Amino acid sequence: MAYQLYRNTALGNSLQVILLQFDKAMNSALAQTVRNRVNFRSFLNTYRSCDYLWSFVLNGVEFREVTELNKADEAKIVACDDKNIGSNTTE
Amino acid sequence: MDQNNSLPPYAQGLASPQGAMTPGIPIFSPMMPYGTGLTPQPIQNTNSLSILEEQQRQQQQQQQQQQQQQQQQQQQQQQQAVAAAAVQQSTSQQATQGTSGQAPQLFHSQTLTTAPLPGTTPLYPSPMTPMTPITPATPASESSGIVPQLQNIVSTVNLGCKLDLKTIALRARNAEYNPKRFAAVIMRIREPRTTALIFSSGKMVCTGAKSEEQSRLAARKYARVVQKLGFPAKFLDFKIQNMVGSCDVKFPIRLEGLVLTHQQFSSYEPELFPGLIYRMIKPRIVLLIFVSGKVVLTGAKVRAEIYEAFENIYPILKGFRKTT
Repeated sequence: MAYQLYRNTALGNSLQVILLQFDKAMNSALAQTVRNRVNFRSFLNTYRSCDYLWSFVLNGVEFREVTELNKADEAKIVACDDKNIGSNTTE
Repeated sequence: MDQNNSLPPYAQGLASPQGAMTPGIPIFSPMMPYGTGLTPQPIQNTNSLSILEEQQRQQQQQQQQQQQQQQQQQQQQQQQAVAAAAVQQSTSQQATQGTSGQAPQLFHSQTLTTAPLPGTTPLYPSPMTPMTPITPATPASESSGIVPQLQNIVSTVNLGCKLDLKTIALRARNAEYNPKRFAAVIMRIREPRTTALIFSSGKMVCTGAKSEEQSRLAARKYARVVQKLGFPAKFLDFKIQNMVGSCDVKFPIRLEGLVLTHQQFSSYEPELFPGLIYRMIKPRIVLLIFVSGKVVLTGAKVRAEIYEAFENIYPILKGFRKTT
């Protein structure tokens, strides 16, 4: 494992500041700028909610957008509950 | 002559009125099926007609009890239909035969009230009432022929150990936990389709099952899930707390009339809720009665209370049938 020893250097500190700025920018962009709408419907295999974090496992899901259609045999959705709702998916 | 071919051999001699009256033919035979309940009686109290019907009904009941193990619900309907048919049969035969000693319809109506309830499997055929006269019941007191269906059963069980709800919510599937909103894990399973509330004290509430057995099975499945997560779960004090049933009387009802005559039991506020709330005292069941004729019964701890409550309300509802 690489040591995280050198984070407390000039270079390391400025990179960490950038990461925090990146977090803020992603959150605001997803909340304000992105306006795409995706519909999906499938069989829900499992769900879980703990500490305002929802995770779902879907089977046989079709993500429908106006432009295109994406299918997946299994999809996991991790959704954070915040005043600005955000989500990310992995296949 | 009666149809002798349908009778067992020991009853052949009893088919004709003369046959039963002769002292030589035993009324009570050791070859009779166990538990017919026919007690040996002095001959002057017997009536060949009633024995015949009794034996026929016994056979029919025994056949039905064999089927009961497979299909309980259909069997109940069959039994009630047979009993109703037997009542009609007896009353018609009464009319044709004229004086016939005892009144068979008396213990027909007695039998109806003591007929085995659906959901219970009697080990022996229900004993027939003896042939001594009983206080007459109204001959037309047939059962409604409608069986309320159970819709929901709420039960509780104690798993007997303290639980860490966060671990359960993180590791179990199909679980929700929002401690700020509600202090329990809400878990669901698909078969039987139920929802459980699991508390940190180890107590659990299981809702949504359609029968007592399913509720118990579902509660056991939740206990097994908790056990597999590493907690020393047990299955203590399983108890059904509430049962909800519903049925349809198939005719519209004058709720206004019902609330006028049964004021002490009913409350009907159409502006608040479209159903009449009838609080029956015995058994202690609350019924929601709607204009359409649909009835919801709730508050029961056992299935028999739901059936009994419906049998009590059905004649009352018939009296308030809408005629337009």
